[in-house]
Amino acid sequence: MNNLKTSNAFVFNAEIDANYLNSLYGDDFVYLQEVFETVLVDYQSLTDNIEYSYSSGNLNALRSAVHKIKPVFGFVGLTAVQQQCQQFEQICGTVSSPDHLSGDFETLKNKIFHSKQLIEEEKKKLEIFNSNCS
Amino acid sequence: MSLSCIIVEDLQVAANYLRNCCEKSGQVEVRGHFSNVTDALSFLNSNTVDLIFLDVEMPGANGFELLDQIAFSPKVILTTAKQEYAYNAFQYNVSDYLMKPFTYQRFMEALQKIQPSKETISTNSASDHIYIKTDGKLIRLNNDSILYIESMGDYVKFVTIDGKKYITHNTIKNLEEKVSKQHFLKVHRSYIVNLHKIDDMRENLLFIKGNEIPVSKANKADVFRRLNIV
Repeated sequence: MNNLKTSNAFVFNAEIDANYLNSLYGDDFVYLQEVFETVLVDYQSLTDNIEYSYSSGNLNALRSAVHKIKPVFGFVGLTAVQQQCQQFEQICGTVSSPDHLSGDFETLKNKIFHSKQLIEEEKKKLEIFNSNCS
Repeated sequence: MSLSCIIVEDLQVAANYLRNCCEKSGQVEVRGHFSNVTDALSFLNSNTVDLIFLDVEMPGANGFELLDQIAFSPKVILTTAKQEYAYNAFQYNVSDYLMKPFTYQRFMEALQKIQPSKETISTNSASDHIYIKTDGKLIRLNNDSILYIESMGDYVKFVTIDGKKYITHNTIKNLEEKVSKQHFLKVHRSYIVNLHKIDDMRENLLFIKGNEIPVSKANKADVFRRLNIV
């Protein structure tokens, strides 16, 4: 994971893989801001789906819900969280009930919650950055 | 623009990104974005496109169910990362997988794979034969010698009456336009059959010299029209 910045003097949070974002969007920070905004619009329903699938004990639905949110983290450069989702999906395939996932689920849930805050902060930074550039 | 497409994807950020890639390429016109199979099917019942960017796991029906129900054979690029879809992807003549998120360069590589192959077959649809390019040579196949043609991803297999199989780089979609309409009919997205060689039909299966050929729901009415039913 990168600790810093990419070109044009925008400094990403240390948890965001700036090089990866650069490979997707280049220096188009206006579009990147749109990406962060779009992700936040869908974020709640995606996480609600995960919570509901877990609480209802539906293992397949839980795996599918985590699978669905997984690429979202890639789009905002949180590649480590994307990888964590991938690992959770794989664990889902090895157990017979969500009851066996409680520890892993709590870890993932906390990470997803934390990620939302991080995405919101980065979106605000991008808004300021882009308004200063225009 | 040389290709028309639709995007079937329920993740908005992914659909927007894909649309952006299409516009940037200047090669693909996006004619619609649908977040579920039902809406996409509704559009495709009255429109055709060259290409579908298709997510597999969506609420309700999955992406492959869409392909089962459309009456034509567009190119398909899956936007999913799941390895377990590999077998289905082969069956459905999927051109490529794009693992979300993908780079623009990777997107362009996928586009390059779907350019139609036009040099591997030579025919006139009114002719009694075709030439196919296989193993570095042109081979003449009389229409009467061909039992059926089967899709194999980016290749097709010609199965002939003497039991031989010839594989060439081509697509069912391309062949559908080139082979003799008198002899041949597409009965499934992966099959074109020689109408003169059909032995019998049961439910959604045609039997040709011991070979079972599936008939899709979308093509079944055409099959009935073309068979000489008394």
